[in-house]
Amino acid sequence: MVNFLSRVIIMSTPLLLGSLAEVYAERTGMMICAIEGIFLIGAWGGFVGTYLSGSQVLGLLLAMGCGLAMAALYGLITVYMKQQQVVTGTALQILSAGFCSFFHRVIFGVPITPLQIKTLPKLPIPLLSQIPFIGQILFTQNILTYLAYILIPLSIYVLFHTSLGLTLRSTGENPEAVDVAGINVNRVRFFTVLFAGALGGLAGSFYTVGYLGMFTTGIIGGRGWIAFAICFLGNWNPKGAVLGTLAFGLADAVSVWIQAVGRSEFFPNELIIALPYILTILLTIFRSNFNVPAKLGTPYSKEN
Amino acid sequence: MAEAVVEMKHITKCFAKVVANKDVSLVVNEGEVVALLGENGAGKSTIMKILYGLYSLDEGQILIRGKETMIKSPADAMKNGIAMIQQHFSLVPVHTATENIILGNIKGRIDLKKQNRIVKELSEQYGFDIPVDVKVGELAVGVQQKIEILKALYINANILIMDEPTAVLTPQESDLLMNFIKEYTAKGNSVVFITHKLKEVMEVADRVIVMRNGIVVNTVKKNDTNEHELAQMMVGHDIIPAERDTKLDYESLPTVLEFKNVTLQPKDSVPVIDSVSFSVHEGEIFGIAGVSGNGQDELCDVLSGIRPMTLGEILFRGKPMHNMTIRERIELGIGYVPVDRYRDAMEMDMTLSENILLKASYDKKWINKGFIRKKALDTYTKDLIKKHAVKATGPDDLARSLSGGNQQKIVLGREVDLGSNLMVFNQPTRGLDMGAVDRIHKVILEEKENKKAILLISTELTEIFGLCDRIAVMYKGKFMGIYHNGELSTAQIGLLMAGIAEGAA
Repeated sequence: MVNFLSRVIIMSTPLLLGSLAEVYAERTGMMICAIEGIFLIGAWGGFVGTYLSGSQVLGLLLAMGCGLAMAALYGLITVYMKQQQVVTGTALQILSAGFCSFFHRVIFGVPITPLQIKTLPKLPIPLLSQIPFIGQILFTQNILTYLAYILIPLSIYVLFHTSLGLTLRSTGENPEAVDVAGINVNRVRFFTVLFAGALGGLAGSFYTVGYLGMFTTGIIGGRGWIAFAICFLGNWNPKGAVLGTLAFGLADAVSVWIQAVGRSEFFPNELIIALPYILTILLTIFRSNFNVPAKLGTPYSKEN
Repeated sequence: MAEAVVEMKHITKCFAKVVANKDVSLVVNEGEVVALLGENGAGKSTIMKILYGLYSLDEGQILIRGKETMIKSPADAMKNGIAMIQQHFSLVPVHTATENIILGNIKGRIDLKKQNRIVKELSEQYGFDIPVDVKVGELAVGVQQKIEILKALYINANILIMDEPTAVLTPQESDLLMNFIKEYTAKGNSVVFITHKLKEVMEVADRVIVMRNGIVVNTVKKNDTNEHELAQMMVGHDIIPAERDTKLDYESLPTVLEFKNVTLQPKDSVPVIDSVSFSVHEGEIFGIAGVSGNGQDELCDVLSGIRPMTLGEILFRGKPMHNMTIRERIELGIGYVPVDRYRDAMEMDMTLSENILLKASYDKKWINKGFIRKKALDTYTKDLIKKHAVKATGPDDLARSLSGGNQQKIVLGREVDLGSNLMVFNQPTRGLDMGAVDRIHKVILEEKENKKAILLISTELTEIFGLCDRIAVMYKGKFMGIYHNGELSTAQIGLLMAGIAEGAA
């Protein structure tokens, strides 16, 4: 049980990081539709950086750099060239997939056994990890999970109790008001997208550096889109993102567990794997009062 | 002589190939109200957006208190004490008044309680009673405008630019605004008041700068001029308003349209049309006055068949029509000029001919065995262009290439021909210049003479009083009463528009 719940937390970590990245960006009106691609390039960057340098820190930095670069491209096209976000994001996702598999082969060729890197160590937090049951689940995790813990209250504080948060939220609701208030709308959006890209890259690297220790092109498997969906389901709020993430983390952990114990003869494994996706669709349908930022997905340009 | 706080010298601004401002120079003095008067597209908003840093200037210079100043963004303008209230308010509807006011003017952690107190105190200084912690979107337009003004006061602006501030206000709210402007300028602050309404100019301005086609045509002291002269300067020629035929006894003519207790109530919400009853006779212009957003647009939706109503009956010449499809209604001879022609009346990227075809694309007149009768269509369009004095080169012009007034004339021409029995106009002159307004008023009166029944929805009281035979005032989906033209004074109708029923007594 402890193991299982601990796995829920593990599976939740990248989803939470990713959905927080989305929350920030979408609050300014920018959907990061390239999130799946950013996850993937982050996972790849994390793996490559760690494998080649032997340092996980450099690996994580490269992951953030890759995510940032992808986001910069996305931001350039959508914010400054004012192109359609969904189309751009989808295109960049395809680009990311091609980029990763191509350069992975260029760098490593086609190894017979998958290349392995060391995963991030578990860092039990003194005292807290001694708490029975909870300590094992919550406080014996790796550094990225702790980062996610910190980001939750921090994001709530930043978004709802600071001038920066007010600016971000206003930008998604009425960019004209922000412009008239003397703030550069497109700059706010672009930098938020960059931040979201770095965070998304880090989230992606969790799958390689933080958990599996290897890279395949299918490693993300739609989890970027789930982070995207969690942002919607969580009503563009960090608190909601936490709840949504735990639901998906749970489903993800269940499917891994079922595969591990090999009970698939009783319960079709495919169904379990599909569970998070089915859950996404169901929750999206049955959630009623959405709090969509009014100008989500709309490029900002002054009249004329 | 008061000191000049703003001097704009030889400003030129182009958008793509269109010259919006050409060699515009103007001065604003301390403690002065300057009215910037002009028609739509005269360039008055543009020049002020340049001063506020929203647009960059191509040529010219700006002096603030005698010192040459580069204003590259609204932030620069605000540093120089300039604030501007946009025509369409720039408020975040889901945020509170305080959050809107402090946006961009605060750093780091926000102590909302403290800020609420500051805003409250500030608003009380000017006698504005605003709820500081209610979402702005839930407040009335008049209150929203006060919040916009408070934004300027919060940053201690001493030059306040207001772009068509009274367009959305009731007469009473306008009076309050005028009082504020007088009080504010008495303290040595300056106001630039962008408008095309002559009455307001005469009421509040010290000096009038008249613009036409991107240039300043004249600058006059208010006391040295009058409304008639200003109108001439603004339009460039004389305008003789059309006269309504008051002798026609429409009440003896048959009823064309009748609403019986029509109600439209969206799910889980209050009714947007609340048990509205009225009738329109042949040869009658029935006006619906009111501040926009009180159910007028929904009433048109229900009438034209875009939205089904919840309760009630709509009769056309005594027969129920509320279950008819939109096409059946068009075929009854109902013409409809909607409020938002971009959304509901035209395809901007299609030609004028195609736009004419749009509403009757199945009509034998235009279609021959599935093919468009291009020649007939073009001839018809050419005639329409000529008849309504549309400024266009021909039927193949894109709708987008026309000015708003000329687009509206095309819509009007099409609908007047389709609407052989009933014409519905929803704010037909909104945002148009005086020349186009005059043309449209003449068409409406012509249609009255042709014995059509006419429903005219308008927020402009001059239009209501100038054209209508009977007037209903709509407030929050209800009719506040139906009156013959002449029964109501401006003050009374203003109260009715604000939902105060005693106004009629």
